[in-house]
Amino acid sequence: MAATKPHSPSLSALTAAALALPGVAAAEVQADALYAHYREADISGSRSATGRDAPRYTIDTLLVRVDAPLGERALSGNLTVETMSGASPWWVQPDQNGKPVQVMSGASIREERVDVQLTYGLPLAGLDWAVSAGYSDEDDYRAVNGGIEAAYSPQAGAYTLSAGLGYSYDRLEPTRGASSPDVIERADKDSLTAYAGVSFIVDAQTTMQAALSHGVYDGYLSDPYKRAFITASAATVPDRRPSERHLWSLSAKLRHYFAGAGAALHADYRYYYDDWEIEAHALELAWHQTLAETWRVIPALRWYSQSQAYFYAPYYTASRGDGLASSDYRLSPYGALSVRLDLRKVLGAWIVGGGIEWYAADADYALGSVAVENPGLVEYLVLNLRLGRRF
Amino acid sequence: MVQWPWRLSVFAFAALTSACATVQPWQRGDLARTEMAFEPDAVLGAYRRHVEFSKEAASGGPTLGGGGCGCN
Repeated sequence: MAATKPHSPSLSALTAAALALPGVAAAEVQADALYAHYREADISGSRSATGRDAPRYTIDTLLVRVDAPLGERALSGNLTVETMSGASPWWVQPDQNGKPVQVMSGASIREERVDVQLTYGLPLAGLDWAVSAGYSDEDDYRAVNGGIEAAYSPQAGAYTLSAGLGYSYDRLEPTRGASSPDVIERADKDSLTAYAGVSFIVDAQTTMQAALSHGVYDGYLSDPYKRAFITASAATVPDRRPSERHLWSLSAKLRHYFAGAGAALHADYRYYYDDWEIEAHALELAWHQTLAETWRVIPALRWYSQSQAYFYAPYYTASRGDGLASSDYRLSPYGALSVRLDLRKVLGAWIVGGGIEWYAADADYALGSVAVENPGLVEYLVLNLRLGRRF
Repeated sequence: MVQWPWRLSVFAFAALTSACATVQPWQRGDLARTEMAFEPDAVLGAYRRHVEFSKEAASGGPTLGGGGCGCN
């Protein structure tokens, strides 16, 4: 089970404005809403153990955010409601020729998740502070989290230093397959995340941000709804991963404004490494084109590549000596490409918009060659609608 | 193996801050434009990180995590 963390309202979103115009704070209440429809493509018959196409996940998300200035202080709230349905990869097994094929979860899953995050920002001792807390709830998973962030900008505002520390306690109680003797009844995990970064002005049209982040996960890091196939016994075993994970990332962001074109180029890169021996790169380019002052068109391209976890295999000929086993495609070697297009229109105090994103994971997109592609790699389409209002 | 990111970051920080240009506040009109923000749309940015984190092994950056979920 991958614990997903929708990031809380962060100082990072404020950094560019603070860096550009020190002393100028937002003076308006801002309300934003996002509706997104996420749909995974069917898994094809050539990759499925049944030999037939099979449907996968669909997720509808409503996200509402309100930012309210309170003098020099600020309060921000996020509410996320997600409804998920469909089938997900269960395990991978070899067909008659030894080619890995995907077995999907049998019954259609339907569940809902509600997540609330609050952030309070205040200036104190020459720093801008933000304290956040949140709670996430779904049938089989609950999490509480908290964090503190600080940012410092010198009077001249040429750069901003920022740092943050966050903690999350997650508890899971599997509902599906709970009657099986080898499915856990409940488990928990602790996650500690820290980052430090610097944003600075390169010239009158260019800014950069660089950051280092570190995370430590401790506890149950496996996925209770996934299994791994052992050919020696022709049977499956529960997904089992190490109980600790240490991860590091280095990220860099560049923003450059082309005054002649009336557009801004965004270039983001992230390098990632963890002690499960996964190494990953993500590169994203976006072009923010303003048209007729009130329109904005944003085409973007993202490339991602990761190596595999040291204990991952599509399936196992025999059990590993350390007892670890996972055939989760998210721990497999692959690359991914995503293309997206977003549109915004300002109508007085309102902002309306929408967008589309297509994402496809494939071994051919990976950095370096992949010997055996996981058959469960995902392809999805996201449609979103945006609405915002300044008061 | 895992020590080098810290060393590299110290070196990068020294190099980057020493390279800061002197741009006066009245010259920062382009930098203050909304499309020049590191995250111009916090809501959509948070949603996309959420999806990517649930479908990919890697994560991280200058933001803190929020509540978890059981995403398959």
